Amino acid sequence: MFQMIKKWTMIGLVLVVSLAGCSASDVSKEGKETGKIRVTTTIGMINDIVINVGGEHVETTGLMKSGVDPHLYKASQGDIKKLDAADMIFYNGLHLEGKMVDIFEKMAKKKPTIAVSKNIPEEKLHTTKDGSKSVDPHIWFNVKHWISATETVGEELSKFDPKHADDYKQNAEKYMEKLRQLDEYVTAQIATIPEQTRVLVTAHDAFGYFGEAYDIKVMGLQGISTASEYGSKDVSELRDYLVKNKIKAVFVESSVPKKAIEAVIEGAKEKGHEVNIGGELFSDAMGAEGTEEGTYIGMVRHNVDTIVSALK
Amino acid sequence: MNHFWIILIGALVGSSCSILGCFLVLRKMSMIGDAISHSVLPGIVIAFLISGSRESLVMMFGAAAIGLVTVFLIQMFQNSGVQADASIGVVFTALFAVGVVLISLYTRQVDLDLDCVLYGEIAYAPWDTLHIGGQSIGPKAVWGVGASFLLNILVIGLFYKQFKISTFDPALAASLGIPVVFFHYLLMSLVSISTVASFESVGAILVVGMIIVPAATAYLLTDKLSRMIIISIVLSIVSSLLGYYVAYLLDASIGGTMVAVTGVLFIVALFFSPKHGVLIKKWSRKKVLQQN
Repeated sequence: MFQMIKKWTMIGLVLVVSLAGCSASDVSKEGKETGKIRVTTTIGMINDIVINVGGEHVETTGLMKSGVDPHLYKASQGDIKKLDAADMIFYNGLHLEGKMVDIFEKMAKKKPTIAVSKNIPEEKLHTTKDGSKSVDPHIWFNVKHWISATETVGEELSKFDPKHADDYKQNAEKYMEKLRQLDEYVTAQIATIPEQTRVLVTAHDAFGYFGEAYDIKVMGLQGISTASEYGSKDVSELRDYLVKNKIKAVFVESSVPKKAIEAVIEGAKEKGHEVNIGGELFSDAMGAEGTEEGTYIGMVRHNVDTIVSALK
Repeated sequence: MNHFWIILIGALVGSSCSILGCFLVLRKMSMIGDAISHSVLPGIVIAFLISGSRESLVMMFGAAAIGLVTVFLIQMFQNSGVQADASIGVVFTALFAVGVVLISLYTRQVDLDLDCVLYGEIAYAPWDTLHIGGQSIGPKAVWGVGASFLLNILVIGLFYKQFKISTFDPALAASLGIPVVFFHYLLMSLVSISTVASFESVGAILVVGMIIVPAATAYLLTDKLSRMIIISIVLSIVSSLLGYYVAYLLDASIGGTMVAVTGVLFIVALFFSPKHGVLIKKWSRKKVLQQN
């Protein structure tokens, strides 16, 4: 039997090597001619920063398309090429990309692979209540954190491509100015909601940074991971809270199923309190490419306008 | 080079799983891979609660421990007279449920689920390299899965006769003085180690598929165990080659297409197998009828 195994393994190995050889040559040719820096990012929000800061010198592709939940992202064969051909990689970090973060940390030895969250001071990050070292990764909900991320991208691009450092600096400055205006806009808009109804109820706990930065109470049904399940007590507690405080609206998210939050609305109705769905918020993924909500700024504006018009 | 590594990892996972798969299919326990892929959930939660970290190594340790518990419980229930499929079903649903309860009790605020802390992704495996003294010695998955493949070959090769007899005729094996129960547990331990090691590097679907489908296909093609093992290994290697090529053409999930190809090969065997094929049976029945 061992003889036969040996024979077949040899045949198998020869097959493997020959096929691998013929398909390996056709990869990583595109883009090189243009002389642009090829950047690969994970979520759309980071891709947006790179588009704005890199400008004409950079060609960027995102791994996760719009509407995809990064917690549950499934890789495809094309990702290998995107990561292989990239000169630089930007990702969120803080375990947002799950086990991929391990891979990125290893890749950092070979090419610049940067977590955009790396310069946000640790004390500004939310850790979980249970005392473990886990951190809430949804930093983009605080626009100030995203300004820091933009700064990081600008610095790293200048470091990699010193020839165009001035352009990157200028672009980053311009984009950060836009973000600062956005930050003021959000603060001002949220402040117009009366204080006792300033409560944001959503399906999963992504809006922690948003709540802290803009002084709005945040309640989520699910845990931080969209894969965790909610208990029946969560549903009834949330329902009672809505009824007691006369909250007008709850929100659904583009990348999380609506069912959970609909259960809460039904429950409140039975108790004689009408709750509306205030609209769809973008949490872990942006809107479709080419639309207003397909950019970071458009997405934040959409979220804020939706929240304000529903709760006011 | 990455293409080569991925095909090699796929072939190693396939070979390692299909060797064990042959025995599992013959014992009507082929769903055990799927069972382990779910039952390890409490393992990672407990490992997280104790260590407070989501490091791959810690998670894998927790998963491996519960993987062993799973196969031992399944074997124990089966020894005490519960049917094989029922004991698999009972054990893995119960353990998975324990995991869900533990998460909702203690770790709601943490992103902790099998997909993001335990299951690897074969597409990224080539970059997860091992280093010795600063020198890269190839992907971790090649070494991990390769080691479990060698372990399987070694153990099955050494005790081939014992495994074979206790699979086909436990009563005869016992009368020959073979410690049947011991070999059952040994096989189950191999299954647990191979699957958890592979989950960590390539994800669940590839492992679950490679345990069942190549072995079930080989079962249609031969009546001899040694041939069945070799055919199933060859099928799994061919599937990982073709599957990778299909994934390349379609820009699809690599593990998914590899398993899809095993499915296609199964259907081909189902219809055209020289002994048990559907078409052959039809044809020979016709011939018999005509002769009458």
